[in-house]
Amino acid sequence: MSETSPPGADDASAIERSRSHPEAFAEVFRRHAPDLKRYVTRRLGRDAAEDVVAETFLTAFRQRDRYDLARRDARPWLYGIATNLVRRYVREEVRHLRAAERTGADPVTAPFTERSDERVSAQAHGPRLAGALAALPKGHRDALLLVAWGGLTYPEAAQALGVRVGTVRSRINRARKRLRRELGETNPTLIVREERVHG
Amino acid sequence: MDEMTVLDRFRSEVPRPGPDDLRAEEARLMAAISGAEPAPARRGRIGGPGRVRGRLAIGLAGGLAAAAMAAGTVVASHDFAERKPDQVTRIMPVAASEVLTRAADNAAKFPELHPKPGQYLVFESQTMNPAELNTAKGHSRYLERSIRKVWLPVEGDATQGVIEGKRLSPKPYPGWPIPPEAYQTEPSNGPEKLADFDNRVEYLRNDYAYTSRLPTDPQKMYEHLYTRLGTGPKADIEAWQRVGGLLTEAYMPAAQRAALFRAAAAIPGVTTIDDAVDAAGRRGIAAAKVIGGSRHEYIFDRRTYRYLGEREVVTDAAEAQAPVGSVLTSTALLKVSVADRAPQAEPHK
Repeated sequence: MSETSPPGADDASAIERSRSHPEAFAEVFRRHAPDLKRYVTRRLGRDAAEDVVAETFLTAFRQRDRYDLARRDARPWLYGIATNLVRRYVREEVRHLRAAERTGADPVTAPFTERSDERVSAQAHGPRLAGALAALPKGHRDALLLVAWGGLTYPEAAQALGVRVGTVRSRINRARKRLRRELGETNPTLIVREERVHG
Repeated sequence: MDEMTVLDRFRSEVPRPGPDDLRAEEARLMAAISGAEPAPARRGRIGGPGRVRGRLAIGLAGGLAAAAMAAGTVVASHDFAERKPDQVTRIMPVAASEVLTRAADNAAKFPELHPKPGQYLVFESQTMNPAELNTAKGHSRYLERSIRKVWLPVEGDATQGVIEGKRLSPKPYPGWPIPPEAYQTEPSNGPEKLADFDNRVEYLRNDYAYTSRLPTDPQKMYEHLYTRLGTGPKADIEAWQRVGGLLTEAYMPAAQRAALFRAAAAIPGVTTIDDAVDAAGRRGIAAAKVIGGSRHEYIFDRRTYRYLGEREVVTDAAEAQAPVGSVLTSTALLKVSVADRAPQAEPHK
């Protein structure tokens, strides 16, 4: 969660070039596909993520003529397209979260669990967190996860979702309150931090 | 620990994927970029259960007007493509086929071709395929045989390929007399365009530009073979046929070939056939899987484990409508080479 975008925000020129030289669009893929896939995989699991990521870049490629070149960084655009595609899988997303809540075994991470041996502390809260995420309205979940997992700023998340920054802020605040409640913790310092980071 | 830390750690074991894990997505984008984006997989099946190679094999039916229409048609199997991507983690089983495992061990022992962009791979093979004939006099069947030489671009689909064929004497389809028409077809045809259209989805491509970028890790290759397939016997059958798609009139570097054989060895239900014969009469040892009423074999040289060809042998007379043991389809890969150019295709008649 940071206010500034990573460097290399030169996507606009790659997209502009791709209008006459389509192969230039591969650069956009190389820059953003890995992070986007990790983001979508965390939400939907590996197989659905492959579909969503492939479709995201195909859609983006077809819409490149309409891209606003004033936006140097394409992430809000790409994550916005991906968010629309993720919604096709919302029932699976919720089903996986509910399974993780119920059994403690998360279908999304199962293929990767051998690779990690340091998720113990998160795992203790995992089932409850999964339940809380499943219960969120999907617009709230989208906003929260674009920021928390996607690394978008509030204004970028607003662009991605096509809503005002204020809307993103209030959705995330409400989502966080809900998570806090479900996790059974009250931590007054949080509110202070939130203002500082995202004010 | 606050809720954002918990959230941050939740599913944090999901790794940032490397290039290998983005290959499918990249390939689809690249296809769109090159203007050759395949039809969406969910369109459903076109042209029945035809495998690519089966359709290609019919391509030599020069004199048969009906078959000639189908001749140029390359149709990929879409049978399973409309399924939802399965949520199952696909773990490659331990390899069961020793033939394929040995073929993998030996894959690097052959001289390697290094085709370059713009060049062509040239495949010379002998084939036998069932042919059907419907005329005013009635319905007949026979096995047509031919030698075919196919030029395929290093990068590009079958529509950019060229074929030249020479007809061999027909054989009877078990239980059917050879119709006179089977002898009256042109003795040779081409060079002509290999295919009028090629609707294969991206992950069924088998041109060198694609096969040379396939995974060299057997587990990944196994996943590639099962792209968009579910689990269970039907998926295993389709995966086995996809192996054929990568062996028939296709070439890949030794590392990919070894991975392909190891992945194929792990497909459930693969057995060993001690004595198999390819379309050119060369004897070998085969890895096989029963599909419907027949056994689909990939044949290898018994000593060097070089890939020789494939054949289908009837195992269920009722289902295949031919006696058990009869061979209805076979091929022999005679030679693969590289050429700078393909012959000029004759315009379609």
